Amino acid sequence: MIELEKVSFSYAAQGPTVSDLSFQIEQGEFVAILGANGAGKTTTVKLIDGLIRPTSGRVMIHGSDTAKTPVSQRARQVGFLFQNPDRQICKNTVREEILFGLSAVRGDEPEERRTARAEEVLADFGFTGDEEPFALSRGQRQRVALASILAVEPEVLILDEPTTGLDYRECCHIMDRIRRMNRERKVTVVMVCHDMEVVLDYADRALVMACGRLLGDGPVREIFRDRMLMETASILPPQMIGLAQRLGLDGGDTPEAMADVLAARAKGGEEQ
Amino acid sequence: MKDLFRYVPGRSVIHRMNPVTKLLLTVVICVAAFITGNIFVLLGLLAADLAIGFIAGVPGKTLNILKGLMKIAIFLFVLQTLLYRDGTPLFWIITDKGLLTAATVVLRLVVVCMPLTLVLAVTRVSDLANALVQVLHVPYKYAFTVTTAIRFIPQFLEEMSDIMEAQTARGVAFDKARGLRKLGMILPLCAPLLITSVRRTELTAVAVEVRGFALRTPASGYRRYPFGLIDAAAMIVCAGMIVAAVMIR
Repeated sequence: MIELEKVSFSYAAQGPTVSDLSFQIEQGEFVAILGANGAGKTTTVKLIDGLIRPTSGRVMIHGSDTAKTPVSQRARQVGFLFQNPDRQICKNTVREEILFGLSAVRGDEPEERRTARAEEVLADFGFTGDEEPFALSRGQRQRVALASILAVEPEVLILDEPTTGLDYRECCHIMDRIRRMNRERKVTVVMVCHDMEVVLDYADRALVMACGRLLGDGPVREIFRDRMLMETASILPPQMIGLAQRLGLDGGDTPEAMADVLAARAKGGEEQ
Repeated sequence: MKDLFRYVPGRSVIHRMNPVTKLLLTVVICVAAFITGNIFVLLGLLAADLAIGFIAGVPGKTLNILKGLMKIAIFLFVLQTLLYRDGTPLFWIITDKGLLTAATVVLRLVVVCMPLTLVLAVTRVSDLANALVQVLHVPYKYAFTVTTAIRFIPQFLEEMSDIMEAQTARGVAFDKARGLRKLGMILPLCAPLLITSVRRTELTAVAVEVRGFALRTPASGYRRYPFGLIDAAAMIVCAGMIVAAVMIR
C-alpha cells in the first residue's frame, strides 16, 4: 500500500510545488494522476518513489518510510518508467539492457536464473535480444525500458507520461502490457498521463491535481463527469464523456450503456 | 552545479559592460595568473575574481564556484606538497618550497577557473556571439559554434542528472556509492548521454538551418555593442593586472 500523509515539497528558490497531499493507494489499484502542466503530477510520483524527499509529511510504501531507504534499494519493489526511455537505456543490446536492470536489483540471485528471466521477458515482449536499443523506434525503445523494469517484477509500477510521442498502436502495446501486469499479478500502477482517452480506457481511479494540491479523487468515470472539477483543473474530458453529457446521458457513458439508452430512445421515437 | 552556467539577469556594472570587455577581463586574469608566480599577486587576482562576482550581484554563485574548486584544490595541494622534494624540510617529507609551490599551483588553478564561469553567468550567450561578430569580426559560424557549446553545458549537466536519476530508480546505487566506485558507475552512462547529445545537436542544426542560418551576415544583429566609460575603466584595470604580473613575478 502507498500512503502519503500531509506531504509538501518545494524546489529550492521556488514556492511549494506540492502542498498538503494526503491519499492512499491500495495494492493492485490502477491510478491515474491528472492535471495541467505544472500541477505537481511528476513531483508527486517522484515523491512516491523517493527520488525527491518531502519537505514535510511522509510517504510510506508497504509501511516503510521512503525517506529512510535509498531509492536504489527500493527498485525491486518499485519500478519507474520515465517519459524519455533514452535516460534508462545504456546498453548495446536489448538482452544486455534487461540483464543490466536485473543485475542491479537481483544481483544476489544465480546468474542462470537472471538469464532465464531475461529470456522470458524478451520472448514476452517479442524481442530477439540482439537488437540495438538506440537503433529502434521511439515506441520500441519505450517497450525496451518497460521490459527491463518489468523483468525485476516490481510490486508497484510508476509511469510518468508513458505514451507521450507514441502512435496509437505503440500506445496500446505498452498500455495493454501494463494492464495485464496489473490484472494478473496485482501490480499497483500509478500513472501520470495527459491522454484522457488512455486514462479512461485503462485506469480505475483518478487523482486530480492543480497548483500542487489534490482537488479530486475517485473512480475515473465519476471524476470525468464532474464538470466543475474538470474546468478547475483545466482538463478536457474524453470525447465519449463529453458526447454523453451533450446528449444528456449523464451516468450512461460506457459504450454499452450509451447504446442501450440510444436504442431505448429510438424505440420510444418509433412507438410515437 | 548545472545552475552555475545559467544567465543571471541584472543591471550591475559587470552586466552593462561590453561582452568583449568581459571576455578580455577573463583572458587578462588568466594570462596574468600564468605570468606571475608571486603568491600575493595571485591572491590579488583571486580578490579580483571575487570582486567581479560580488559587483555583478552573484555572490552566492561566486562562493559556490569557489567551494566546488576547493575540493580539487585541496587534492592538488596535498599531491604537490608530498611530491615536491626541493627546499628545506619542515616536517616529515614536506618542504618550505613544496608548500609554496603547491599554494601557487592551487591559487593559479582557482584564479584561472573562476572568471569565465562568472562572466558567462552575467552575459547572455547571444550577446557574446553578436559582440564577437560585430567588434572582433569573428565569422558568425564560429561565434555561434562556440556560444552554442557553452549553452549546451548546463543542458548536458541536467541531462546527466536526469539519466542518473533514472538509473537510480532502476537500482543502480548512485545514492549509496562515493568516489571512484561512483565514477565507475557513471562511465556506462556516457553512451545514453552521448546519443542524446548527438540527437540534440542534430535537432539544433536543423532548427537553425530552417531559420536561415546560412543567410546571416554580420549586419543581421540589431543590437549594437559600443564601448563606454565602464569598458575604458575595465581596460585600465586589465592593463594594471598585466603590469603587476610582469613586474612582480
